[in-house]
Amino acid sequence: MNVDGEPVLDEAVLADLRASVGDDQEFMVELVETYVTEGTANMDSLLAAAAAQDCAAIVRPAHTLKSTSASLGAMRLSAICRAIEQAGRDARPETLREDADLAREAWEATLVAFGEAGLRA
Amino acid sequence: MSPGQAVALVVDDSQVNRKVLARHLASLDIVAREAADGRQALEQLGADGAGFDIVLLDIEMPELDGYETLAAIKGDAALRHIPVIMISSVEELDSVVRCIEMGATDYLPKPFNPAILEARVRASLAGKHLHDLEVESAARQAELLKTIERQKDELSRFLSPQVAALVSSPEGEQLLAGHRRVATSVFCDLRDFTPFSEAAEPEDVLGVLREYHAAMGALIVEHGGTLEHFAGDGLMVFFNDPVLQEDHVERAVRMAVAMRERFDELSTAWSKHGYHLGFGVGIATGYATLGRIGFEGRYDYGMTGTAVITAARLSSAARAGQILLSPGAYAAVEDQFDVEDVGELQLKGFSRPLATVNVLGVRTTEPLKTAVEAG
Repeated sequence: MNVDGEPVLDEAVLADLRASVGDDQEFMVELVETYVTEGTANMDSLLAAAAAQDCAAIVRPAHTLKSTSASLGAMRLSAICRAIEQAGRDARPETLREDADLAREAWEATLVAFGEAGLRA
Repeated sequence: MSPGQAVALVVDDSQVNRKVLARHLASLDIVAREAADGRQALEQLGADGAGFDIVLLDIEMPELDGYETLAAIKGDAALRHIPVIMISSVEELDSVVRCIEMGATDYLPKPFNPAILEARVRASLAGKHLHDLEVESAARQAELLKTIERQKDELSRFLSPQVAALVSSPEGEQLLAGHRRVATSVFCDLRDFTPFSEAAEPEDVLGVLREYHAAMGALIVEHGGTLEHFAGDGLMVFFNDPVLQEDHVERAVRMAVAMRERFDELSTAWSKHGYHLGFGVGIATGYATLGRIGFEGRYDYGMTGTAVITAARLSSAARAGQILLSPGAYAAVEDQFDVEDVGELQLKGFSRPLATVNVLGVRTTEPLKTAVEAG
């Protein structure tokens, strides 16, 4: 899977979100914190399901990470999770481990990017 | 939350999504309550969804997913009216079609666009508001109908059933305003009531009147008479108005005969207590004016005309047990009742004496001419 074209953090999406909440920095920080907490749990589930090559179990965490990441501009992670979700739905376990590793890398990069964007307490 | 503020239930397993939606809704002055899955959502909606104006529902959720939750809401008559907007990602558009077929109002693409969110939520809330107004209006209408029924019911306690029905009928106003037609007037009162009421205890007098009124009232209704008024021992009933009755004179006389029979039973019981009362009736028929009589605050539905005065005078002239008919009334029913001639009565206020008969009873034998023809 090639996701190099997808930005780790899409500044434009983030800027739209920021604007839509009236540039409420406090809310943005709180939202990212919620994303990190929720995302950590979902990443754990996703990695465990990938390790077990459990297609059924990987769909939900991949789905949630895909959608929340997209909401916050974490487009690379969102794209990877979309592919994982689809593989899970299609019952194609072969690429799950490899893609889960990509997801973990993207997740870590996303956390760093949020920190750099001044959105992590 | 201020009164009139809409309340949305945001159902999504992602707290991030719930937070973002709640925040957008808050900027639209909509209060957001949150549920992490379908089961929690149904719990919050409760039996009738009271307090919720809209549901924003994610499709992919643990426990009860969006489809199941939507099916539960739309399958429940008490919840069905609440609009449900599906939250979906672009890949789920096929699912959205299915949801709309299942009764969802609209869908909201993820990531959320505040402008689209506002447009769709507002449209759905407008629909819900319209529905609420309809329900409210139906409830008000039902309440109004109940009030009208109750008033009719109350009215029928004070008025004769015909007048109560007339008052609440569409043509009522016209009839109430006054009209002329032939009608039959019946006056009855008790002989020796004044000495009785002077001698007896007031409670006994009222007891006697109650029995008398109850018995006579039932017979008035039975014969379709319109009771104009009770006044102590006197009562006035008329026929052929407001409901037209072809046989109005016959009805009046039959009622009087039945009243006399009933009175005899009552008076037998009263005489054991030493109360000796008699019953007299006067009946006359003719053109009269009928309609609303009285003044603001107290109206009666009444009859005025010569027939009324004649019936009243005949009733005064009747001895205990007599049912006196005016010549006109007698002419109308001479084949149906046996009568005796009581001669010409000089009634108060009338320049000429009136040929009057007393009704003995309903004729049971064949009329004489038929007997002659048969023989």
